[in-house]
Amino acid sequence: MKAEGRIRIEKGKAAGRGRERVHDFPPLLPSEESKMLWVDKYRPKTLDQAMVHQDTAQNLKKLVAEQDCPHLLFYGPSGSGKKTLIIALIRQIFGPSADKVKVENRTWKVDAGSRTIDIELTTLSSTNHIELNPSDAGFQDRYIVQEIIKEMAKNRPIDTKGKKGYKILVLNEVDKLSREAQHSLRRTMEKYSAYCRLILCCNSSSKVTEAIRSRCLNVRINAPTDEQIVKALEFIGKKEGLQLPSGFAAHIAEKSNRSLRRAILSLETCHVQQYPFTSNQIIPSMDWEEYVSEIVSDIMKEQSPKRLYLVRQKLYELLVNCIPPEIILKRLLYELLKKLDAELKHEVCHWAAYYEHRMRLGQKAIFHLEAFVAKFMSIYKAFLIAAFG
Amino acid sequence: MGKRSALVVLSSDDEEIDRSLSSNRGRTRSSSASRLISSAPAKNPGRAKKARVSGSRSSLGSVSTNWDEVRLSFGDFDEVFSGGSKVAAGSGRSNVKELWVEKYKPHSLEELAVHKKKVQEVKGWFEERLTDSKGKSSNHALVITGQAGVGKSATIHVIASQLAATLCEWNTPTPIVWQEHLYNSSTGVQYMSKLEEFENFVERVRKYGLIPSSLSEGSKSSIILLIDDLPVTNGKVAFQRLQKCLRLLVQSTRTPTAILITDHGKADSEDHTAGYLDELQLSLQSAGACKVSFNPITSNSIKKVLSRICKEEQCNVTAEQVDLIAKASGGDIRNAITSLQFFFLKPTPMHSLPSSITPPRYAKGKQAPWSAKGKSDMVNALDNSGSLQFGRDDTLSLFHALGKFLHNKRETEDSMELDGAAFHVREGLSRLPLKMDAPEKILCQAHGQARPIADFLHENVLDFVSEEAMDDAWSVASYLSDADLLLTTFCGMLSRQYEAENVLQSAGASVAVRGVLFGNFHPLPSRWHAVRRPNLWQVEKSSFYNKKEMVNRRFGAYSGTCSSDLTVIATEYSPVYKWLGFRAQGGLEDNVERMSLGDQESEIDDDIEEW
Repeated sequence: MKAEGRIRIEKGKAAGRGRERVHDFPPLLPSEESKMLWVDKYRPKTLDQAMVHQDTAQNLKKLVAEQDCPHLLFYGPSGSGKKTLIIALIRQIFGPSADKVKVENRTWKVDAGSRTIDIELTTLSSTNHIELNPSDAGFQDRYIVQEIIKEMAKNRPIDTKGKKGYKILVLNEVDKLSREAQHSLRRTMEKYSAYCRLILCCNSSSKVTEAIRSRCLNVRINAPTDEQIVKALEFIGKKEGLQLPSGFAAHIAEKSNRSLRRAILSLETCHVQQYPFTSNQIIPSMDWEEYVSEIVSDIMKEQSPKRLYLVRQKLYELLVNCIPPEIILKRLLYELLKKLDAELKHEVCHWAAYYEHRMRLGQKAIFHLEAFVAKFMSIYKAFLIAAFG
Repeated sequence: MGKRSALVVLSSDDEEIDRSLSSNRGRTRSSSASRLISSAPAKNPGRAKKARVSGSRSSLGSVSTNWDEVRLSFGDFDEVFSGGSKVAAGSGRSNVKELWVEKYKPHSLEELAVHKKKVQEVKGWFEERLTDSKGKSSNHALVITGQAGVGKSATIHVIASQLAATLCEWNTPTPIVWQEHLYNSSTGVQYMSKLEEFENFVERVRKYGLIPSSLSEGSKSSIILLIDDLPVTNGKVAFQRLQKCLRLLVQSTRTPTAILITDHGKADSEDHTAGYLDELQLSLQSAGACKVSFNPITSNSIKKVLSRICKEEQCNVTAEQVDLIAKASGGDIRNAITSLQFFFLKPTPMHSLPSSITPPRYAKGKQAPWSAKGKSDMVNALDNSGSLQFGRDDTLSLFHALGKFLHNKRETEDSMELDGAAFHVREGLSRLPLKMDAPEKILCQAHGQARPIADFLHENVLDFVSEEAMDDAWSVASYLSDADLLLTTFCGMLSRQYEAENVLQSAGASVAVRGVLFGNFHPLPSRWHAVRRPNLWQVEKSSFYNKKEMVNRRFGAYSGTCSSDLTVIATEYSPVYKWLGFRAQGGLEDNVERMSLGDQESEIDDDIEEW
């Protein structure tokens, strides 16, 4: 494959070397593999190596062996292996050239009616595929979808046998795309289906419009079972030469909430924290989760505007660290419910759902997060007064 | 006053003249006939044009006495003019009537409405400088500040004429229009910015002193240099040039110099020039200039001036009306006089006003509208009446408006209840009437945008809610969340429909403000409180920055073949990297520092004091 199939950048900062924006971090040589996270290091490279979802992997292999690949929609919970399958699939189609990827911060100039909009987005691309998160562009995501697909169609690659090939566009987080973007995605899918294939990836297919779902082959990726996670952990343990005490892997698997990624990350942090492992070792939770439970204990201790202000500052701290507000709210509710009297649970859940909905409609998450906390405080305070006078 | 009988020439707008004529009682009946008569200077088109340019009063005055004659002799011109030739229309507009502001310019110290002490101060300063011109006193510069229309220039003019000094005045030259510029550049005249011209002028003054062009009596008359109007500077560089040049002038001038600086007040907080001007004053003072600041003119002084004018114009007006105008002007005498003149132009003068006026909302049925209730009520009455279109609309600074909303002042008792007609709301939902204008009106005056206002309210409102009132805090928060929804919708689908966007914006702002006012049922007793800048802005900025950092770090650490969702990076990879101490390059520590909110938070932009 020649490089002429690559999409050229008009005005991007990364016009020269792909890694320009990330020069702080020298590229890792294969010998430096030890510095990679285990999650990345032991990620199955081919469809044959897949440890979970072997049957799906085999099916996919057969599918692309027949030389034509439909549009694909992968959906399933986080940490179930969607991305791994996608990469392996791409490698299956294009061979080792798919490994040579580069990261770019690209700027698109989009002509939107009266003005031109500059949209900056990080993409990851090889000669044959491009991967990007269009939803990062906010409400301008539809332009991204249209532009990039058009551009791809312009530079149609020709494979070695002179046959016209196609490129693959991987779109992450399709469920977060706006409705407009999904509509324009649908149209472009039809128009350019000869030139490129789309691989869409999302957590929940319910937020993807029917039109798109029916044009794709839907592949549901289930969360791995605890046994599968244990197997994967033990595999890694063996490769790293670690002693896993009995029950330890199961312990991690249970804590991981059936997310394989989470489990492997936990294993690695445990390894840093204490080795050799003991079977009842505390598995460190994510720092932001601890922070949320700290917030919750703040809320439970006192209910006043002043405390609400304090909570707000802590929520800000989470938002600054890019923890998505929906996840904060979910976690907050989860932690609150643990400490709550049964008769309040229903009402609190109702309000959490209410403000979660508004958060999606609104723009500034903190307004809604705070309104939820305030509502909770107000309910809880009334409850305390009623109960204890 | 002889000048009063200024001629009215045919104007395209008959009605306007009608009004001016009927309202001006001082004029003789015959003047009503004058509206078809051309003025004497308009003997031929050329002269008419000249008259327009110079606007010469004297000729008008003399001619007007025998304008009957003119009428006879130039009867044929009437036809031409009523035919609507351009010249007539042009000259017609020019000498309609003299503005009272010009006409009743103060000519003596007594006529000045400025406070006596200030005038004395300024006069004394000039006397001192002019008598010992050999330069015992070191500083020769006087900075006079004050808001627009408090009589800064007038004071200097009067004092100069009192001291028999020649007044040399720097006025920023008129701007050059594009055609003119083209013409100039074709003839080889270089374009000079106003600032450059000013600099040149100052340079000349410093080097050679002031030589008035008409220096006939030689050294006898003393000179006062007046710098009225500073050139407008835009941006820091230009401002620094201006500052430097003024400093040099202050330090080196030998002629007494008055520099007038118009205070824009805090009202235009959007305007950066206000800050610049403060800086300028300080720097000039440090360079040795003496500073006198003029306060807004008191309504009593304005009233005095207005009644004097009324007497001279022979228009009868009640003391109350004068009082109203004086109060509405907000200490701006120029505005007050113009308002008065406009007031008498109106077809139906205000005689019937006090009875027809609708009383302000919250005084309904309780008090006569004119009973003394303080300035705000009066001004309110002015606005509500709808029949008075004059008076300066006060602008409020954003912080002032926020203070009003946050402090949430209310009447102590509900006058509506006494009415009986008011409909009743459920207990707990009724609120006492607000002790302020309608929130929307305040929003208009504060020319704030909906989004920042909501942000400011959100940031600060919790400080004003009573410690016990958790329910209040919730209802405020929930209204703010509503406001956020309203403010959001526009950016998606309605982006082309500007009108809808506007409505949404103001609705959003209204919901935010009223929500805060309504929700905060138990406000804290008012006290001094600082308003914080919304922390949210900083959070948004740094989270955007962190997002990029995180994504890049992830790609840097793992040259893998897939990207991850930001969510996953933020919630799972980043904590693990932190745990692992970021083995790859240990660059994390810096990032962690940058990620925290740290010390950038809660800068205090401005203070609200108790209103």
